[in-house]
Amino acid sequence: MSPLAPFDTVQITAIAEEVFAAMVDGEPGHLVPWAGDAPVLAEPLHAWVEIHGTFAGRTLLSTDVSTADDLARALLGMPADEAVSEEDLVDAFGEVVNVVGGNLKALLPVQEKLTMPRVGRTAPDTHGATRIDGVVLAWRGRPLDVSVWQI
Amino acid sequence: MLRVLVADDSRVMRQIVVRTLRQAGYDWDVREAPDGAAALEMVRADEPDLVLSDWNMPEMTGIELLRALRREGFDTPFAFVTSEGSPEMRQTADEAGALFLIAKPFTAETFRDAIEPVLA
Repeated sequence: MSPLAPFDTVQITAIAEEVFAAMVDGEPGHLVPWAGDAPVLAEPLHAWVEIHGTFAGRTLLSTDVSTADDLARALLGMPADEAVSEEDLVDAFGEVVNVVGGNLKALLPVQEKLTMPRVGRTAPDTHGATRIDGVVLAWRGRPLDVSVWQI
Repeated sequence: MLRVLVADDSRVMRQIVVRTLRQAGYDWDVREAPDGAAALEMVRADEPDLVLSDWNMPEMTGIELLRALRREGFDTPFAFVTSEGSPEMRQTADEAGALFLIAKPFTAETFRDAIEPVLA
């Protein structure tokens, strides 16, 4: 059995909700399970952190660039009409996956090293990777996919 | 006024830490460092009253920064604000001389709960 197998949608959802309530929104209730079929992202942006050690895993967040822009605005306290720089976009989305991945990693029975977060418009290579579990959530009505992979 | 140095490679997270300090009622003089190596230089140049540091940073990690400071004779009060708060990391931080470890995500209340006993 994969060491990552204990991760399920309930844990992933709970951690993501906690992170968003404390760090992004300042209150719970703005990140909830997505109702209905998983949507296709129009202009996807991906952020991931990995664990490299006696086993290897990845936490991956995917959303639309426009949603990630609003995430950056929320984290930096920017007004809705202010442009988000690429640097802030990458920093903000990377920090969200860093905290989600760090909290998931803390649930593992053995401690491994967490990589620095990476952000890209192309998802990381899934060759040889197995999706352990994941969940589509809605942040302020817009899709955010959170998944855990064995790599 | 208490002077604090916030070390984190994420500008977003530094801003969140600074904002949370204010929300927790600490109107401190805040300086920022983008990694452990820069923070070490800043402490050498002008020692703050407190260092709040991320753990996982490029150039020099937070735990390397703490150990470097102690090796150089700085007993600057030091604490971690990090995305990982496993028992092993808390023990490592404690053994290296950290005052506390705040795991992300945090709230203003989390900050007060950790900082108040240290200020007392």
